[in-house]
Amino acid sequence: MVLTIAKRLAAGVGLLFVVATLIFIALHLVPGDPARTILTGTGAVPTDAAVENLREQLGLNLPLGQQYLRYLHELVTGSLGTSLNDNRPVIELIGERLPRTLQLIGSTTVVSVIVGVTIGALAARRGGLIDRIVMVLTSFAVAVPAYVAAVLLVYFVGVKLQWLPSGGYVDPAVDVGRHLRALVLPTISLSLGFSGIVARMTRSAVLNVGNQDWVRTALSVGLTRGQVFRRHVLRNSLSPVVTVTSLQMGGLLGGTVIIERVFSWPGLSGLLIDGVTSRNYPVVQGIVILIAALFILLNIVVDIVYGLLDPRGRSK
Amino acid sequence: MRREHAPSALRGALHRVVAVGLALALSAGAVACSANTGEDSTTVLTYGLDSDVPNLQTLKNQGSASMILNSVLHRGLVQYDADGNIVPALAAEVSDVDKQEYTFVLHEGLTFHDGSALTSEDVKASLEAMADADNVAKMYPAAKNIVSIDTPDDLTTIVKLSAPDAAFLSYMADVSGAILPSESIGQEDPTYVGAGPYKFVSYENGSEFVVEKFDDYYEEDKPSIDRIEFKILSDQSARDSALLSGSVDAVSFVGWNNYDQVSANSNLVLDETEGPFMYLLFNTTSDSPFSNPLVRQAVAYAVDRQAVVDSALAGRGEPLSGMPIPESSEYYNEEQANYYTQDLDKAKELLAEAGYPNGFTATMLSSSQYDFHQNTAISVQADLKKIGIELEMVMPDWPTRLEIGAAGDYDIAVYGTVGITNDPSFLDQLLTPAGSQNAPFGYDDPTVNDLLTRGRAATDETERKAIYDELGAYVLENAPIVGLAWRSQAYGYDKKVSGFSNIPGFLTFDSGYTLADATIG
Repeated sequence: MVLTIAKRLAAGVGLLFVVATLIFIALHLVPGDPARTILTGTGAVPTDAAVENLREQLGLNLPLGQQYLRYLHELVTGSLGTSLNDNRPVIELIGERLPRTLQLIGSTTVVSVIVGVTIGALAARRGGLIDRIVMVLTSFAVAVPAYVAAVLLVYFVGVKLQWLPSGGYVDPAVDVGRHLRALVLPTISLSLGFSGIVARMTRSAVLNVGNQDWVRTALSVGLTRGQVFRRHVLRNSLSPVVTVTSLQMGGLLGGTVIIERVFSWPGLSGLLIDGVTSRNYPVVQGIVILIAALFILLNIVVDIVYGLLDPRGRSK
Repeated sequence: MRREHAPSALRGALHRVVAVGLALALSAGAVACSANTGEDSTTVLTYGLDSDVPNLQTLKNQGSASMILNSVLHRGLVQYDADGNIVPALAAEVSDVDKQEYTFVLHEGLTFHDGSALTSEDVKASLEAMADADNVAKMYPAAKNIVSIDTPDDLTTIVKLSAPDAAFLSYMADVSGAILPSESIGQEDPTYVGAGPYKFVSYENGSEFVVEKFDDYYEEDKPSIDRIEFKILSDQSARDSALLSGSVDAVSFVGWNNYDQVSANSNLVLDETEGPFMYLLFNTTSDSPFSNPLVRQAVAYAVDRQAVVDSALAGRGEPLSGMPIPESSEYYNEEQANYYTQDLDKAKELLAEAGYPNGFTATMLSSSQYDFHQNTAISVQADLKKIGIELEMVMPDWPTRLEIGAAGDYDIAVYGTVGITNDPSFLDQLLTPAGSQNAPFGYDDPTVNDLLTRGRAATDETERKAIYDELGAYVLENAPIVGLAWRSQAYGYDKKVSGFSNIPGFLTFDSGYTLADATIG
């Protein structure tokens, strides 16, 4: 097991190196000069000399190979470079923003798994009308893109009914209540599709497991249907649910971008969007590498959880 | 026995999941009951800012959000009032000799937010920083002409210019004309310490700036509001929703398609002005067909300006049919403001006269990053097709657009800008090489340069007006730039906020000055 994890980690590091190189090449291939962009505000008119001066300051006029080596060095030492427009270490900027994005992903995952597993299991167990209602509702939830749900929630719940803030962020250290209120709508927006997928996966897995011979055996030895369902069927159905949950969580690492924007949630997305539009190379590189690293890590964690859920996986 | 397939780690994790879920459910319950937390008598204005300013550098031009922040944190020697008049600020007295030697006498006992005294030495250091080309200061176009700065005492500063400059004060009244503590100049830290009505409290990257009333502000009894929380709401519709839902009291730049909704809301005010404008600029170097003034005139006659307003600005603006001088300016010339109207026949004639009876193909540069830039280009493309000019569109994102523009890799380009001041001397940004990407590529006309220099130096108002009229006539005929549309900019705010207002014309971005007069309640 330890050896397997070590192998996976080593492969992950190799993959990260590839991602880091690709993002460096991609960013530097795209035209657009960070120095000129930084110096151009509303009606600002930087002289060419000023632009050249800033390029030199930022090290942008070095040969590309040299910039790449410098970048790899920063990567290995973990600093991820310095943001071009405010001279702050990228790692520090990400440190401020990442917890907020992770919080959004966390709350979305918790809500989606609880809601999804509950209604999926319910649909599979009860069947009939409940099953059909769940199928229709989840199809709908999966079909509606998160940003459409977000815009509708902002308009009806935020602007018209004014039950919850339409966006914004309040530091939990300042006011926990307002912080959590601001978290509700983005979480619901992201959870709709996620919980729909989890529900459908749970339903089909439960139906699949429920039809197996050992279930009949369990019932014949005197266990009640409820006991068999809770202790055996549901647990044996969880592997595909874990898979789909992890995939969805991975998707959320990039998928929160629009939702964070719509709700002015100051997570990684604002930093990433501003980074791209101002050609703030170190910030974009740092965030992309971080997302790749988290994705790889998530996959390793999922492999471990498989092992815990299913003893057959452990021997591999 | 029964639990052998459920390792304890997983069980623990499941329990934790349930616990977190419960906490979240509880918080959702708390949503309904947690209304306003206990309020004291502190007055707070929440303001939706249109972008983040990760590293406030007051002397530089960092866009509209930085201008709002500068206007509350800082003050210069002079400033704009709500109507756009230049009024003394940190300087109690301002006088000049022939617009070439300016004397500023500070109020007594001025201090910065950190408690240090504000003296003529700080004035000198700030002006010198603005005059240093390496700093790319927004005030550089005016400050570069400074030849000497004398400080005979702690309150007095005498500034001598290389030539008379009638526009000097109108530049210095901008929020970037702020006086900074001399020791902070040249530092890389954000310039939060100033002498403005509010002092910096906190900044959370991507989230908010908080400022609170500066008790030693030089104007008695101002400001009235104790604290301003600037929420960073970069997304246009998120910002509008925040205003409409009452999450914030005021916002910069209501989205054009939400004007009706804000106006219709009985709790809100839509405070609108036409300031920034959209225009076309040409590559005037000899390898472009637009180096011929006749072709440029043809374009000026071919474009349907109302169509630009309707398609690119959602109808929120006005056609710009002549010189980009706002109506609120003393230099507004009605005839020159309405010089061109659409006339396709005349446009075709001009094109034939220029040697292109069957038109030609050219490249047009705009940017897909801003809808109104993109849609302006598309509108103009359709008009020029009617006279035989086929435009191939190049619409990259903003940084790429700037780079291509600076390199002159285009024939015709769409741009939008705003004058630094209402004074017509801002036209050097549009008509001379000093204007960089605001100006037509390769355009360097001695007649224009001479008129701009004379206009700037003229001290007599009538003489100045005559020079700028002459410039206007020449530029309209020569058409290195072609005006398209004035763009509406509106602040939206709750009716309980009074005293805050949109300074008209180009000065709309300086409107944060009026927050010092604002009250809430």
